[in-house]
Amino acid sequence: MSSGKLSHSVAIILKALSLGYQFGFEIMEVSGLPSGTVYPALRRLERDGLVSSNWEAEDEALKEQRPARRYYELTRVGKEVESTATKRYPLLSRLIPEKLVKTV
Amino acid sequence: MSLRPGPMDSLTETALDWLDRFLPLAGSLVPGPQRLDWTKEWQAELWQLRHGQRRACQRSLAGIASLAYGLVADAAWLRLDWARDSARGSAASCLFTLFAYCLLCAAVELEIAGSLGAFLRVMMAHLFGSFVVVAVPAVVAAVGTYPLRPLRCDRQHAGLKRVLSARTRWNLFLVAKVGLTLALGFLISVVATVPARMAVGRYADWVELIVSSLVVTIGLRWALLNQEQRCQKCLRMLSEPTRVGAPSRNFLEWSGTELVCTEGHGLLHVAEMPGSWCWYDRWVELDPSWGGLFGS
Repeated sequence: MSSGKLSHSVAIILKALSLGYQFGFEIMEVSGLPSGTVYPALRRLERDGLVSSNWEAEDEALKEQRPARRYYELTRVGKEVESTATKRYPLLSRLIPEKLVKTV
Repeated sequence: MSLRPGPMDSLTETALDWLDRFLPLAGSLVPGPQRLDWTKEWQAELWQLRHGQRRACQRSLAGIASLAYGLVADAAWLRLDWARDSARGSAASCLFTLFAYCLLCAAVELEIAGSLGAFLRVMMAHLFGSFVVVAVPAVVAAVGTYPLRPLRCDRQHAGLKRVLSARTRWNLFLVAKVGLTLALGFLISVVATVPARMAVGRYADWVELIVSSLVVTIGLRWALLNQEQRCQKCLRMLSEPTRVGAPSRNFLEWSGTELVCTEGHGLLHVAEMPGSWCWYDRWVELDPSWGGLFGS
């Protein structure tokens, strides 16, 4: 996926991922996008190699007494596309705050 | 201000319980290999909604309904993407595409003819008037020169227990594809010569003959080349072309390109320079034990 084809909502998702938001619900909450947009977009980004996912370690999740999450992160290509998208949509940086605390 | 969620009202609690029960149902939409991960991911997300530090709006009925929609949209997207991937390069999608183009051309011609009776008359006149004269010799020549190489697809691969043998499917697909390609060629030649017919009347028959010759030649060539680039087992298009060997060793060692079936049924060796020892592309069937290296 080239940055030229990026929709605004995908740019928001990439920005959220670049700021440290890692899983679907967290991205939904910080971006205000509905789940019907966020999850299919994450799948598409993963298929196109902009995002990779991995499962949280079970013992880490057990320590917090919750099911293991699937964490998403930007790949090298994803980071390049994200920086292009940020240049194109400068307001993105103001729209999504930096992640400060670990989500419980 | 505490971010901990407050107690939920009973209606929201019921809606969340319903969403939990709905999850396996929506999961049935997800393709089998991805279903377990998908369910685990959504279970974690629903836990987050129930117990995490969430904004109140997401724990409202509207928020839960939106999440239910997202869950179905996500499952449906995965199913569609899987179906698209499965159809890409398959024999069925090839025949379907040809058939769709035939229907499109027929619809255009029907619109021009004005009525079904006139359309059928035009079709018959053009079919026997010019197209058959071009197509029959071309098909005879193509069949006569088509190399009857042995099909090497005897091994039993997992998930491929079919009623028809590989050879029968291979031949049936070739016949159907050639038939549809010729039908499309015929319809294209009729539609393409409509402006010429309007301008020069019956002299347009010569134009039609030329157009028919072109589309039949190109169509048959495409149909046969396309057949060569398909897996002999599943009839899917071969992909991942890889250069093997060095051009300087053309006469001593293997040099050419290898294409592979993404299902792991075999490889096609395409020689850089066809020679007496290798005058056509060579299909090498892979043992089912190679299956582990491929997606399915």
